Amino acid sequence: MPETTSPRLSDAELSEERGIDPVTARVRDTRAGLATLLEEAEQARRARAESTSGDGSAVCAWNHFENIPTFYNWNNRPR
Amino acid sequence: MRGIASVPTYVVMQPTTLCNLDCAYCYLPFRAADNRMPVEVAQAVATSVEGWAGDGRFSVVWHGGEPLAAGREHLAALMAPFGPQVEHHVQTNATLIDDAWCNFFQDHDVRVSVSVDGPEERNGDRVTRGGKPAYDRIMRGIEALRRHEIPFSALCVVGDPRAGAATELYAYFLELGCDVLGINVEEQEGVNTRANGHAAADVTAFWAELVAAWRADPRIHLREVEWSLRYVAAVLDRTADDLLPRQLDPIPTVAHDGSVVLLSPELAGFSDPRYGDFTSGNVLSTPLAQILAGAMSTPWIGEFLSGVESCRAACPYFGFCGGAHAANRYFEQGRFDTTETDHCRNSKIRLLEGVLDHARDHESPAVRC
Repeated sequence: MPETTSPRLSDAELSEERGIDPVTARVRDTRAGLATLLEEAEQARRARAESTSGDGSAVCAWNHFENIPTFYNWNNRPR
Repeated sequence: MRGIASVPTYVVMQPTTLCNLDCAYCYLPFRAADNRMPVEVAQAVATSVEGWAGDGRFSVVWHGGEPLAAGREHLAALMAPFGPQVEHHVQTNATLIDDAWCNFFQDHDVRVSVSVDGPEERNGDRVTRGGKPAYDRIMRGIEALRRHEIPFSALCVVGDPRAGAATELYAYFLELGCDVLGINVEEQEGVNTRANGHAAADVTAFWAELVAAWRADPRIHLREVEWSLRYVAAVLDRTADDLLPRQLDPIPTVAHDGSVVLLSPELAGFSDPRYGDFTSGNVLSTPLAQILAGAMSTPWIGEFLSGVESCRAACPYFGFCGGAHAANRYFEQGRFDTTETDHCRNSKIRLLEGVLDHARDHESPAVRC
């Protein structure tokens, strides 16, 4: 992994956009690092061929749940 | 997201309460008893889900106890009433998997997910009924899956999330060969009364380290990372409000006797003077669709939905989480209308914080292995 490339922001330096909850604000303030991470994640999904279906793989089985955008399903998935 | 949907996307079925293991953190109350599901229960569920499966993908998750403890013949009889469009999944401790079970999985097109907590020394809580380590048996089962080239998912319970653990864990699962991995920080649920509070910095560091390990070699679909990234991407795209479903999935759990518990499988088998036995009906006397339609008449569910609305009003992580789970609220706090739980902190809040910490500290592309 690369070394730390971005200094930590203090709370006072975080964005102060009006009406934005602190989690949304923190995500937006992390946009630069997230953009790289999101691109790598998309490349990884393509490499795993997760967009395909019907091949019987375990990935597709779980994606059945995850493609339905319910965090509650994720949270309640049986262990 | 308001209320409960009338149609689920999957149903959890308990072919037997029995488990051949006696894991220290297990929440199941009757795992020493072999209460088997009659075929009539499966037939009743199959009749109800037939229409749902025709409208899109629909799954039956055979859970337990240990579902394979029901035996191949009985499990096949339970699966038989379901139509070919229904997907079957099994969550297993893997200890009973052999060549015959692998043939069964292939013959019945069963998707397999195994429970293993990482390297042998991290499986100390996973023991046999005689208290002996189960790891060798687990690995024999997984080796059978690999021998038959059956893809599998893995679920890993982490009892002590902290920095230094995640890199080793992820490397282990890469070597194991699972396609998908879910990390469950141990929960205080059911008969497991062990406290699950951890220092915030430790848990956040665990998740941040896991992201780093995954990023270096993201061959595995890592559930927690994928969901976190899906959320942050939606926030950045300003579409996060569309991410949560309109209504909660009822996730019916059908116990061995046909009784149905909604929303949290972990509540099955328990009762409380205030809430009764948490069930919403029994498929042997009432069609599942009718049970779901009447969900709000179950005493605890209204209180739970009130708790979800409290989460929505009070918690900035609600858009990521959707509200604390029913079982976590109840087993940690004794009620359903509370809000933040230790499970929220360990598996939602610190997870998202860990992902964001990692992204903040690593703006350059990953160095791939």
